Amino acid sequence: MLSHATTRDWLIPYADGMLAVDERRRIDGHIAGCATCAGELREVRELNLLLVTLPPAPPVAFAPFWLNLQAVLPQRRLLRMPGFGRYRRLGMAFAVAAIGVLAAGGTALAAPSALPDNPFYPVKQLEEGVRLALAPTNERLTIQLQLASERLREAQAMAANHKPLLAENSLRDFRVIVDDAAAALKNPADPKKAKEALHALHLKLDAVERENANRGDDDQDVKQLIAAANVELDRIEREDADAAPPVLVIGEQATPQPTPRPTPRPTPRPSDKDHRD
Amino acid sequence: MGQQKELPSTEGDAEERRLIDRSAAGDQEAFRQLVLRYHRLVINVAFRALGELALAEDVAQDVFIKVYKALPTYRHDKPFKHWLHRVAANTVTDSLRRRRPVVSLDGLEQPVVSAGSDPQDVAARHDLQRAVRHAIASLPQHYRDTIALQAFGELSYDEIARALDIPLGTVMSRLNGAKRLLRERLGDLVSPSEETNTA
Repeated sequence: MLSHATTRDWLIPYADGMLAVDERRRIDGHIAGCATCAGELREVRELNLLLVTLPPAPPVAFAPFWLNLQAVLPQRRLLRMPGFGRYRRLGMAFAVAAIGVLAAGGTALAAPSALPDNPFYPVKQLEEGVRLALAPTNERLTIQLQLASERLREAQAMAANHKPLLAENSLRDFRVIVDDAAAALKNPADPKKAKEALHALHLKLDAVERENANRGDDDQDVKQLIAAANVELDRIEREDADAAPPVLVIGEQATPQPTPRPTPRPTPRPSDKDHRD
Repeated sequence: MGQQKELPSTEGDAEERRLIDRSAAGDQEAFRQLVLRYHRLVINVAFRALGELALAEDVAQDVFIKVYKALPTYRHDKPFKHWLHRVAANTVTDSLRRRRPVVSLDGLEQPVVSAGSDPQDVAARHDLQRAVRHAIASLPQHYRDTIALQAFGELSYDEIARALDIPLGTVMSRLNGAKRLLRERLGDLVSPSEETNTA
């Protein structure tokens, strides 16, 4: 039979259902013959009852909650500039002028090749944001791919310099750019070029991974972000391929499409689970 | 000690990862979607800890502001929900500690009141819950953080271990210590009534 002291030590996990069957039986055996421990167990259960009966909140409307929260959220650099509506051009002109002033003020050091640990890196980011926002629609994808490639160059350099957090930031930015470009990549004007671009990004991700692994104590988060980015690129590639005209299969016999499809562009599949906003 | 069933490794769904990455990069629309997913959870934790809806909403906002600021350093090796629970529990217990106790624990000597609509019962129950909250707030930090996840966040031992990144045995030992202290501090409040003695 268990001692009095041991039983008292185990009463709380016992009441929380955390003991194995054997251990529970031993406690049960002791409690059956010990009024003190039985009384203490009732107190423990009473406390548990108090703790679990703290009530949940009544329903709260989301919209006002979000509006109040949004009003006090700290502003953070935005990689993508949302549409400014009719003030977009004016805003862009102002941003360009601001960059000009910064450059004239001596920040020309903020070369396009500045890395995330360079103090002028934010200027580079601002320049990129303006460049992307001002880009005509038909050039947007090209610029996005350049920026995505640049993020991977940065991630590789940061991994090589033992700065995994900065490498992670660049990889996260990379994923945001790819996510933005996903729709255009799935339905590109030049499919061959898009495929080559995706392949090049895969190779660059491999280079970041190698650099990360070279450190000996490879950063797990960098590794995970690389894996997630590769999955994302694969998915874009796959969906692009899936969008090709299907081949009708009867049994093991594949029948080619007898006539060209009437629509030049693939229509979205109704079962597409990866529909994005 | 009994072995808890190991939970499957949660890597978070791809959509949530995408929202987290985008929020970390400053996309407020993505963050809005994250808040939409979890605001109910955070408000519940805050309300259980504080007992006032307006205050719970304010503290929930503080939680999400902390989360927004810390997202660039969030690591995907831990489920976002557990990380959020930890931030929420820390924030609400800090808020609880800063508030002056309205009720003296010595003045309360009634046992647990069963749910009822009698105004006196309701008032007594509210006082009791308030006493429990302040007793939790008065615990040493390592006990407080652990029991807050159980009492306010309704997490299991396993989930607490994952949220705090500590072994299951440590969770057991901390909850053991926390509840012993709570029983001491709440005194007669946790003495079972005659009806419950038969349980």
